[in-house]
Amino acid sequence: MDPTSPESETRPEINPSSAATNPAAVQPIKATPEATAFESTPSSFADPPPERSNSLDELTHDLSSLHDLSTRGQWEAILDKISQSRALFLLTKPHEHLTYLTYQVIALTKLRRSDEASHELNSLHDFDGEHYRYESFPEIYPDRKGSMVPFSLRWMYALVPTRLGNRQEGLDRLYTLLDFVRERIKEKEGNDDSVELWKKREIFVMSCLLGFHLGHKEFGVSLELIKELIKRDPLDPVLVSKLGSVQMQFGDIEGAKATFDRVEKMSNHNGLVSETQFKNLVGRNKALVHVVAKDYAAAVREYEECIERDNSDVVAVNNKALCLMYSRDLSDAIKSMKSVLREITLMLSRLTTRRFV
Amino acid sequence: MSTGATQGPHSLAFRVMRLCKPSFHVDPPLRIDPFDLLSGEDFSDDPASASLLRRHVSSADALDSDLSYRNRFLINHPTDPIGLSGLLLLPQSFGAIYLGETFCSYISVNNSSTSQVRDVTIKAEIQTERQRILLLDTSKSPVESIRTGGRYDFIVEHDVKELGAHTLVCSALYNDADGERKYLPQFFKFVVANPLSVRTKETTFLEACIENHTKSNLFMDQVDFEPAKQWSALRLHDDDLHPSSLVPPTSDLGGIIPPNPPVIIRSGGGIHNYLYKLVPSSDVSAQTKFQGSSILGKFQITWRTNLGEPGRLQTQQILGAPVSRKEINIRVVEVPTAIHLNRPFSASLNLTNQTDRQLGPFEVSLSQDESQMGKPVAINGLQKLMLPRLEAFGSNDFQLNLIASKLGVQKIAGITAWDTREKKTYELVPEMEIFVESD
Repeated sequence: MDPTSPESETRPEINPSSAATNPAAVQPIKATPEATAFESTPSSFADPPPERSNSLDELTHDLSSLHDLSTRGQWEAILDKISQSRALFLLTKPHEHLTYLTYQVIALTKLRRSDEASHELNSLHDFDGEHYRYESFPEIYPDRKGSMVPFSLRWMYALVPTRLGNRQEGLDRLYTLLDFVRERIKEKEGNDDSVELWKKREIFVMSCLLGFHLGHKEFGVSLELIKELIKRDPLDPVLVSKLGSVQMQFGDIEGAKATFDRVEKMSNHNGLVSETQFKNLVGRNKALVHVVAKDYAAAVREYEECIERDNSDVVAVNNKALCLMYSRDLSDAIKSMKSVLREITLMLSRLTTRRFV
Repeated sequence: MSTGATQGPHSLAFRVMRLCKPSFHVDPPLRIDPFDLLSGEDFSDDPASASLLRRHVSSADALDSDLSYRNRFLINHPTDPIGLSGLLLLPQSFGAIYLGETFCSYISVNNSSTSQVRDVTIKAEIQTERQRILLLDTSKSPVESIRTGGRYDFIVEHDVKELGAHTLVCSALYNDADGERKYLPQFFKFVVANPLSVRTKETTFLEACIENHTKSNLFMDQVDFEPAKQWSALRLHDDDLHPSSLVPPTSDLGGIIPPNPPVIIRSGGGIHNYLYKLVPSSDVSAQTKFQGSSILGKFQITWRTNLGEPGRLQTQQILGAPVSRKEINIRVVEVPTAIHLNRPFSASLNLTNQTDRQLGPFEVSLSQDESQMGKPVAINGLQKLMLPRLEAFGSNDFQLNLIASKLGVQKIAGITAWDTREKKTYELVPEMEIFVESD
């Protein structure tokens, strides 16, 4: 799949002057006149009505359908849709191929077919090459510059080796990706929207790395990473609580207690979590301190308060059952897990019946 | 207490689960931020596109309102990719047990027969090479009955203080359905290994290298050296000399993370060194100092593994190399702040008699063992200085007139004191460095 060669099977009859204005000629199934809005200069966009669910289609052919399927976990359907779109030559622009490829790699990985995902990734050219930049196709993307590679595709390129058991390769690629993101942040200085987006990506990659290192009990580098994350957002109670958990996991109980005290004193004004979620976060932190002190009854009480505030707090439910076990109350532990499972099953069956109405 | 060789199948059975502390479940998920998937990474470079994309994403969001898969695909919170939800996990395997830890176990005896058992006396003991320790005994108040399919559970704890093979012996004495008194012993074996090795090296400093032989990382809670009474010990940290640059005190971090990182010794052979400066304690008389008892002290070590699971050990007494005490100690006490080339200067010295008898008189001079080329620092004027006899443990302060004939960093060395009576020579130790400036 080579977007640069007009003769490739997925891009027949590409005539730079006609493709932009005559998509109907190459799309026998679906004419998408809205697609033309994408190629025109950015300033001439008409404001789309906000309720239109297919507004994403403006960006890429049938994107709203892909988005919908992905948020419902319908990975097989996504793979079908992708192969159909390719077979029917529905994708006419270079960026569409990349977006569809990204969805394909994600779907395959979710379906635990990481070897196929890896195969698809191998078909790609170098991400930073000319063929993946908007300015290489001025007739399709007039006045647009930059890379058309979806960031998720870069991330999947780093993630897939770890799913195939090659942890070292995956880590190397993730660290390379982190460097890449940091370069972009420097480069885009002055463009606030872009910088903010790339900073979010930096946090994303650092969080991934932290997860990998924690899973391998690599304390030193885990602590370094979480310190970097906290430097960027010291007032995020969820993040700081995770620091407390990391400290606790490695045995630094006093450090963990101090961190949890700090979280409790934070006001929840950054709005990332609701008031209930914040209260539960503080409650769960307190419960952990009780667990360490082997005061399982006190921990159970904290978790029960959390569950009362929010009965979908699965962490509180699980941890409460665990504490009951540690206090020799195995039967109650099983009972409480069973009752939650029952409630969840009821909730789910209510949802599925609603869908059919 | 056996009721016979053939007892038939048992109604009861023991099941044992080690109950060390739980751990956090870490599971990095595959979750996406829609801005990273729905468009190219530089699409938002121009503000109109950026706001367009934001509108599209939020309108797509608004439509999907039920409790669905989306919460497992899209990122909710920026830290979701870490995969640390706070979910606790039970210990997944028995693991290894080390000296100094606490063995904790959940024991469940269940009735898998089709009828009730009555009058159940349960015992749990730990058996080692040297002893048998009772952990639980219900003989004074036996469990009345365990119904079919029922269980009796208990948790036992034992501080592990011996190395080697241990056996957890669980036994139940009960009346089965036929009224027959049956005895069920079950044995669960485990081995206790040595978690640490402590190697020491010392001169007037004690360096201890602690090596972690366990399979988990050890968070060193406390490593305390308790010196013997003739010593006092000062722990030397490297960050006294090199302040930690890991976390400069910044206002936005607000002291969340202390500047000194905690000490964690990596599993399977990781090491950490501890350095102590040993100083003879001031309240001990000079006599004991001279005798140079070789016991330095011992270490008390406490550590923690996951979620604070504690362990503790004490080492045996650590012996120092026998201290070879000098009989006479000569040292330079003070030199002028500025020393100039070829200009005489006065140095204060001290001669101490560290024995319990009279020594001297002494002749202080520069040793002549070098070549005929002059030493960089020589005695100016009279080449020999006489000092009177010294009492036991006495000391004498004196001045030497010196002159330096070379520039830069030079040493005051080669000064000797010759005991005229015992015919013994003592050297100036340590050599003193001085800086010689030009005129």
